[in-house]
Amino acid sequence: MKSLNLAGSDHGRLNALLGLDDAAALIRAGAPLAIAGRAEALDTLPKGNWIGGTTPYFLTEDGGEVIGADKVFVSDFSGLGAVRVATYDEHHLDKITEDAPENGFALAIIPFQSVVHERFARESGSYPLAFLKPTVGWIAGFDLGEAGACAYVYDGQHATRHTNRAVVLHVELPEGVMPGVEIVNIFEADGVDVLRFEETGFAQTHVLVNGERRPFVDYIRERGLEGGQLPLVGDFGGARINASLREVGDGSVQLYAPVFPGVDYAFAAPVADYAAAFHAAFVDHSHDGAVFSCNCILNFLFGGLEGKSIGGAAGPVTFGEIAYSLVNQTLVQVRAL
Amino acid sequence: MSLPPKTAPVWQKLANGGLKLLRSSNLGMQMLTQRIEMSKLSPAQKSDEIYAFFVKWEKGLSNEVAQLGRL
Repeated sequence: MKSLNLAGSDHGRLNALLGLDDAAALIRAGAPLAIAGRAEALDTLPKGNWIGGTTPYFLTEDGGEVIGADKVFVSDFSGLGAVRVATYDEHHLDKITEDAPENGFALAIIPFQSVVHERFARESGSYPLAFLKPTVGWIAGFDLGEAGACAYVYDGQHATRHTNRAVVLHVELPEGVMPGVEIVNIFEADGVDVLRFEETGFAQTHVLVNGERRPFVDYIRERGLEGGQLPLVGDFGGARINASLREVGDGSVQLYAPVFPGVDYAFAAPVADYAAAFHAAFVDHSHDGAVFSCNCILNFLFGGLEGKSIGGAAGPVTFGEIAYSLVNQTLVQVRAL
Repeated sequence: MSLPPKTAPVWQKLANGGLKLLRSSNLGMQMLTQRIEMSKLSPAQKSDEIYAFFVKWEKGLSNEVAQLGRL
C-alpha cells in the first residue's frame, strides 16, 4: 500500500491503493477523487468531492491484487481544472456528455446488471456529443466469491450509494491540454468466420455466420468456445471492440456488452500469456500524462493476473470498461495530452 | 496542413463514404466512422458532425488531416 506521498502517480497526482484514514484525509482536504473498493470500505468514507464504485480487484505497479476492506484505490484529479460530481438515472444518461466540460472528459461509474448499465451500453454510441465530449469509466462489480453480492456506486457529495444510477466526475482540463481516450485490446479476430447480428442486445439467439443464419449457441458449441475465455471482436471503423461471453444457455447467449447490427464480428484468437501480451502492447501505448486507467475482470481471471504486473497502468479491475461506449476485456486509459 | 473550411467539398466526400478510407488509430475517429456509416442522418448532417469532430480534435488528428487532401 502506498503512503500518502503521491508516489505511484502521474504529474504528482495520486493513483494508488490507500488506507482508509489516508483516503478520508484526502477527501476532507477537498481533493477531487474517484475511489474504488469494497462496499464495507466505501461506506465509511466522509462526504466530499468524490465518486466511487465497488470492486475488490485491482492492477497496481506491483501486480494484480484482491484487496480487503481496509483500503481503497484512489485516483486524484487535483491540479487539472474544475471537477464536479453528478449522478444520472436511466432516463438522462445522454446528459453525461451534455454536462461534460467543453475541454475535458466525464469519468462515469455504473453498477453492473442495472438498467443504467444496459441503457448506457445500448445507447451511448449514439449520444449526439459522444465523440466531442468523451466519457470514460467503468462498471462497478463485486467479489465473485461472495454469494448474493451487489454492485454499488457512490456519490460522495451526498454520501449516498446507488444500485441504478451513473455517478460521474466531470473533469475539466487546462487550456491547451486535451483528453486522449485510448484502449489496449490484446485480442484480435481469429479470421475464421465473419459474424453479424440482427438486433442490438446483450442476449442473442441467432448469428449470421458468413451470411448464413444459425443458432448462436450451436455455433459456439461447435467451435468449443462455450468456456467464454475468448470475446467477440467487433470492427468499429478499424477499432477492435470486444463483447465477452457471459453464459451460453440452451437457446440464447448472454453477453457482457451488447452487439450491434451492421458491425462485423469474429471470435478472438487465443492469447497464451495475457501479461506478456499487455507488455508487448504497451510498446505502442504511452502512459505519459495518464490520469485514469482500468482493466477487465475477465482479463484478470482468465489471464491469471493476480500477483502479476502488466506494466505501468494501475487502476480498478472492472465488470466492463467505458471508452466512449461500453467495451469488454480491454484496458482503458485516459491521458491529458 | 490546416483544416479545410466547412464549405470545402472534402466534408461531403467524407460523409458519403470517404470517412472509412481514412487511416486512423484515433479511437474516437474510428468509432465515429462506424457511427456515421450506420447513421440514417442526411449527408449534410453527417458532414456537419464530421467537421465538428475535426475542429474539436484537430490538434490530435494531424495524420488524418494530412490525408484529407488526397481524397
